[in-house]
Amino acid sequence: MSANKWLATGNFFTTYKQEQRTFLTNLDQSIFTFFLVVLFSWPLLFHLSNKSMLVIDNILIAIVAVMGLNLVTGFAGLISIGHAAFVGIGAYTVASFCRTMGDSHIIVTHFWPLLIIISGFMGALFGAIVGLPALRLKHLYLAIATLSFQMIFQWVINFMSFFNQGQTIFVGRVFWVTGKVGRKDHYLFWYFVILTTVVLLGFGIRNLMKTRYGRSLIAVRDNDRAADAMGMNPGLTKVYAFALSGFFAGVAGALHAYLYRGVGFESFTLHESISYLAMAIVGGLGTLNGSFWGPVAINFLDLKVGSLAEVVGQYMPSGMNLATALKPFTFGLVIVLFLMFEPRGIANWWRITKSYTKMWPFRY
Amino acid sequence: MSYFFQIVVSGIVVGSIYALAALGLVLVYKSSRVANFAHGQIIAAGAFITYFLTVTVGIPIFFSFLASMLITFFLAMSVEKIFLRRLIGEPIISVIMVTIGLGSIIDGLIYLTPFGTENYSFPAFLPQNPLTVGGVSISWTQLVGVIITFLLIGGFSWFFKKSTVGISMRAVSDDQFGAMSVGISVPKVFGLAWATAGLSAAAAGCIIGNITGLNFDTLHSFGIVVFPVVILGGLDSILGAVVAGIIMGLIQQFASGYLDGNWGLNGTGDVMPYIVLVIILLFKPHGLFGIHEIERV
Repeated sequence: MSANKWLATGNFFTTYKQEQRTFLTNLDQSIFTFFLVVLFSWPLLFHLSNKSMLVIDNILIAIVAVMGLNLVTGFAGLISIGHAAFVGIGAYTVASFCRTMGDSHIIVTHFWPLLIIISGFMGALFGAIVGLPALRLKHLYLAIATLSFQMIFQWVINFMSFFNQGQTIFVGRVFWVTGKVGRKDHYLFWYFVILTTVVLLGFGIRNLMKTRYGRSLIAVRDNDRAADAMGMNPGLTKVYAFALSGFFAGVAGALHAYLYRGVGFESFTLHESISYLAMAIVGGLGTLNGSFWGPVAINFLDLKVGSLAEVVGQYMPSGMNLATALKPFTFGLVIVLFLMFEPRGIANWWRITKSYTKMWPFRY
Repeated sequence: MSYFFQIVVSGIVVGSIYALAALGLVLVYKSSRVANFAHGQIIAAGAFITYFLTVTVGIPIFFSFLASMLITFFLAMSVEKIFLRRLIGEPIISVIMVTIGLGSIIDGLIYLTPFGTENYSFPAFLPQNPLTVGGVSISWTQLVGVIITFLLIGGFSWFFKKSTVGISMRAVSDDQFGAMSVGISVPKVFGLAWATAGLSAAAAGCIIGNITGLNFDTLHSFGIVVFPVVILGGLDSILGAVVAGIIMGLIQQFASGYLDGNWGLNGTGDVMPYIVLVIILLFKPHGLFGIHEIERV
């Protein structure tokens, strides 16, 4: 490590321990701490309506899910077109607790952190099962295997009366140390919970990528035969990747169930799976900060297009729903344009900006 | 027993539609190794163009059928030229997502028209009373649909076996560099493959539209349900697509005919293709007629 702990001008690692540090410079660390403080404190200073808070919570949940998808699709290179189904597994774990024990049972309302973790493990279990074909299949075949999982999941939810045939299953209000979380504080409360989850899981991924297992994920993505020759087990690595991504998705699903205080079938359809993939791609596959940019970008696009359609719709013949037309159109256009012109996603812009400011005023 | 044969007949009707829809997917995959997730939208577009030309413009249905095939021919060709050509050699996730994005764009465009939300049906031009043989009935629309489907599939097979363009398309799918070295323009072949796929999609769309009525959701769901079919048949075999289409149609009809209503099951016809798909992927991933080049880990 160089003497200057604030501005690193290059790599000065002398031990592996140094390379594995979470923050390379003190500057990184303080910027990160600053952001964290801002993120946690702004809702206390400004008051936002429940509606906009819901949007933000939604984005944060999508971030959790997309981090999981990025793990399997970005880092391990396995295409998953069934991610919403894993999210659904998490949500329906919470729902089945509500179904069997009543939606205001003490386990649902008081031990919700435990339930979120259980949902995560349920997701991981299903992830591992769905990942099993990855032992034999690659690329398109694997993508279609996950697609069929998505379709089977949708059918099971729609058909089983235990899951209320896809209709909403209610989840009770939770308790915090201060007592029952009421209607007014509901979205604010979950903002903090989900933000904490995002931070914890983000650190988890960041550290994972510095471990033996994280590196073997990338090795398997780049060339699985070479990875095999170097003593990694590609098949097992892939199944683990699916399980881990299932864990993230399960947690996201449980959070979704609690945030909306209900679980319905329509939040876990094939279209949602495709949205998650689009978020991962727009954000930048195989990057951690891409998992943050993608959901923000896609959700804001969706919102803006919705309000634009409302404005334009006033000047259009009635009976024509512009939003249903414009939303898929812009959504598809954004995916196509990103893939054609910026396949590395918004994370690449972030990287360019970062290296530019780091080097400023020198260009090289 | 006539119930059994009735199911067999409707299975063959549904299966031949699947075969025609799968054909377009196989054509594209065979030459350019692109799994086209926008196929359902092209099918829907073809059906709606035919409807528009027949009903709104007032052309006889046979000519509007041909015209819509021509339009989707050029539509698919330009899609390939504008979007997919740049992505040759990109990772498979990009290619899949571009076709999904394209599908979404076409979705948006169709939702702009009244076709996106409302139901339509083609004007009847065939006898309405069904044909009944020994207790098994089949409507004239279905019968004509199946006949046209098999004629088209036969035509495509002939095209691939005998015509110069078809042979050059097969050459490209075998070995691109080899094909280039004997003077075949690979980009042109990619474009043609997409164009023929678009043409077959329009045909499929018209036949589905005639049999089931024009509903956007039904039509574009064919783009997804066709994947189990092509995987069962082997992703790059035309014969496979036909055989697998009919097998899948039979499986689906038998499932909904015999499983639904028993043991509290419901809608098994929709999920059965995917269950079959999982089984195929686990035991015989290259399908019935596919080439055995699938990589094992």
